[in-house]
Amino acid sequence: MTELAQAVVNGLQMGFLYALVAVGLTIIWGLMEMINFAHGEFLMLGMFGAWWLSASVGLDPLLAIVPIALAMYAFGVLVYRHLMRRVQGGDPFTQIFATIGLLFLLQNAVVAGFTSDYRFVNDSVLARLSGTKLSLFGVTLGVPLLLAAGLALLIFVALYLLIERTEFGLALQATSEDRDAARLVGIRPVRMFAVAWGLGAALVAIAGAILVNFFAVYPQVGLQFTVLAYAIVALGGFGSVLGTLFAALLVGVIQSVTVVYLEPAFKDAFVFASYLLIGLFRPQGLFGRF
Amino acid sequence: MRHNVGRLALLAVLVVASLGVSRTAPAQSKVTEVLIGSVLPLTGTFANYGQQYLWSAQTAEDIVNNDYADLQVPLGPGKGFPGLGGAPIKFIVRDDQSRGEQARTIVEQLISVNKVHWINGEGTSGITSLIQPVVESAGLPMTCHACASPTLTEKGLKWFFRTGPNDKTMVASVFTFLKEWREKGGPTDLKTIAFFTCDNLFCQDNRKVASELAPKAGYQVVLDLTSKTGATTLASEVQRLQAANPDVLFLVQYTADATVFQNDAKRAGWSPKVIATSNGAYSDETWLQAQKKSNGGAGWLGRDPTAIDLVQDRPSWKKVNEIYKKYSRGQNMGELAMREITGLLWMADVINRAKSVEPGALQKAANETKMGPEQLIIDYKGVQFENGQNVLATGVVTQIGWDGEKHTLWPWDLASKANFKPLFPNPGWQERDSKPKPTN
Repeated sequence: MTELAQAVVNGLQMGFLYALVAVGLTIIWGLMEMINFAHGEFLMLGMFGAWWLSASVGLDPLLAIVPIALAMYAFGVLVYRHLMRRVQGGDPFTQIFATIGLLFLLQNAVVAGFTSDYRFVNDSVLARLSGTKLSLFGVTLGVPLLLAAGLALLIFVALYLLIERTEFGLALQATSEDRDAARLVGIRPVRMFAVAWGLGAALVAIAGAILVNFFAVYPQVGLQFTVLAYAIVALGGFGSVLGTLFAALLVGVIQSVTVVYLEPAFKDAFVFASYLLIGLFRPQGLFGRF
Repeated sequence: MRHNVGRLALLAVLVVASLGVSRTAPAQSKVTEVLIGSVLPLTGTFANYGQQYLWSAQTAEDIVNNDYADLQVPLGPGKGFPGLGGAPIKFIVRDDQSRGEQARTIVEQLISVNKVHWINGEGTSGITSLIQPVVESAGLPMTCHACASPTLTEKGLKWFFRTGPNDKTMVASVFTFLKEWREKGGPTDLKTIAFFTCDNLFCQDNRKVASELAPKAGYQVVLDLTSKTGATTLASEVQRLQAANPDVLFLVQYTADATVFQNDAKRAGWSPKVIATSNGAYSDETWLQAQKKSNGGAGWLGRDPTAIDLVQDRPSWKKVNEIYKKYSRGQNMGELAMREITGLLWMADVINRAKSVEPGALQKAANETKMGPEQLIIDYKGVQFENGQNVLATGVVTQIGWDGEKHTLWPWDLASKANFKPLFPNPGWQERDSKPKPTN
C-alpha cells in the first residue's frame, strides 16, 4: 500500500511540472486553435536561458524566471507577427509545416551556438536542496520537487484568474470563439493572438527555468515533453486551464503507478491508452466544451 | 580502296588500343584526394556523440594533411599519404539527424554521387546496422570504431571493420573484475545484481551480455528493468530497484536518462553498494565534467577501452589531444573520441599501405593489418582483424574517484600502475554532498 501511495505522490509531483509545460500549449493550441510543433523548443530555449544566466552571471534559475519570461514573451509575439500570422488563414498543414520548420531552426541554431553538449545546473537553490525530503506516513516527498510543484500551482492559479476572471482573459476567449464578433466589440484579434503566443512562450519558458534544476539541458530536450504536452492538452480539454492541470496530474500518476506493477515500456502506452479511452466517452476532453 | 581499308584497320587498332588504355587509366592515374564519406548524427537525439565524431574526423584530417614530425601515430610525420604521392585526405561529412532512413539515403549519395573511397559512421550501433547492407552491396570498406554492438561484426560482412572493442569484450571486463575482486581483497558479500538499461540496440546488447555473464560471475539477478530512452521521470523505476535491493546495479543509460536516474535515486535516498555502468553517460565527457561539481559520479565504475588515467601520460596522446581541442572548443578527448581517432588513423595507415583507393586493395590492406601498440594513442594490444573485429582491442574497468577523474581498477597489472584504492561501498548521497567538490 505504501508502495502505491509513494508512486501516486511521485506522479503528482511530476504532474505539476508537466502541467506547467503543457499550459502554454493550452493557450496557443487549445484556446487560440493554432498549432505549434515548436512548443518543446520554446521550453528548450527557457532551459538554455536559465542555464546560461546561471553559468555566466551566477543568477539562480528561480530568479532567472523573470528575465526569461519577458524575453520569451517578446519572442513569442515576434514569432506570431512574422511567421504565424502569415500562415494563420491558410490550410492547417501550413501551420504544421511552419512550426516544424521553426522547430528545426531553433534546435539547430542552438546546436550551432552551444554545440550538442549536455549542460547541467548544479549550484542552484533547488539543486542544493536535492537531498532534502519530508516523510509523511511512510511516503517520501523530495523538497525541491515539492517547491517546484508549489510554484507551478501558484502560476496556474494566477493564469486561471487571468483567463477566467479578467477582461483581458474574456477578450482572449472571445477572439478564439469568433474573431469577427470580437472585432465588432472593439477587440483587436491580431493583438490578442500575439499576446497569446507571447504568453504561451513565456509560460513554457518559465517551466524550462524550473526544469533546469532537475534535467540535463541539451538542444533536443524539448521533444520528450512536447509529446506529453499534446496528450495532456487534448486529455484535459482544449483551452481549459483547469483541465490541463487535472490531465497533467493524471498523466503523472498513470506513468508512475504503471511502472510499479508493469514493465516501464508500458508507461507512455498507458498514458495514450487513457486518452483514447476517455476520448471514446468525452471526445472534447475532460473539461473541454464543444 | 586498299589504302582506305588499311587506314580503317589502323584506326580500329588505335581505337581498341585507346579503349584499353582508358580502361586502365583510372587505376594508374594519380590520386589527388582520398575521400572519406562520413555519415554522423550531428543533430537529433545522438548529436552529442556525433559532434565528438566530427571533432575526431577533423583531428584525423589535420594529422594526415599536416606535418607533425614528432607525433608517433600513423601518418603523423609528413603531409598527406606518401603511398599515394602525398595526396591529402578529405572527409565529406553529412548529418543524418540521428535517423536511420536518412543515414541510408546519405550513404547511397556518398557512394554514387560523391564517389567516396571509404565510409565511416554512423557512430551509433543501431543506425550503423541499417547502413551496413548498403555499403556491403556497394563493395566499399566501411568502419564504425566506437560502435560496440557485437552483432555488427557477427554477420559475416566482408567490408566492415571495427578497431574498437565490442560490448562482449567490455562488459566481460566488468564482470571479470566483479568476480576477481573478491579474490583480490575486495568485498565478499556482493551476491545480487539488478539490470537497468535503456531500450535501444546498444543498451539491449549490453543487457544480453550481462545476463549471460552475471550468473557465471556468481551473481543472482534480482531485477531486470528496461526503460524507454528519453524518460521524463524514473521515480517508479527507482522505487522498484530500491525494493529489489540489489548489491550491484548494472546501469546502461544515456546521459539525459542517467541524470534523471541520479535525481530520482537521490530523492529516494537510494544508493546500492556498487554501480557498474557500460558506456552511455559514463563515456560522455560533459557528464563526467558535471559530476565534478556534485560528486554525483564518485564511486561509479564502468568499462572503458583504455586505462584513461595512464594513457594521458603518453606524449602522442597529449599532442593528439592538443589538436583535438582546436576543434572541440577546448574540450579534452573522451574515451569515445580516443576510440574514433585511433580507428581513423588506422584507416589512414591502411590507405597508405594499399597505395591505392581501389576497394579491393583497401580491403586487402585492412585484412593484412598487424599494427603494434606503440602506434596507438589508446591501450589496445594492437590492431589485427578476424571477421572485421580487432581481436587485440581490450577492455578496462575504471572508477570515478572523489577527484572526479577515472582511475583504472582492472586489469590488475594496469591497476597496480594506477595505484588507486577503489571506493567501496558506493558513497551515499549525504557523503557526496558533504565532501568537497573537485571544481567548486
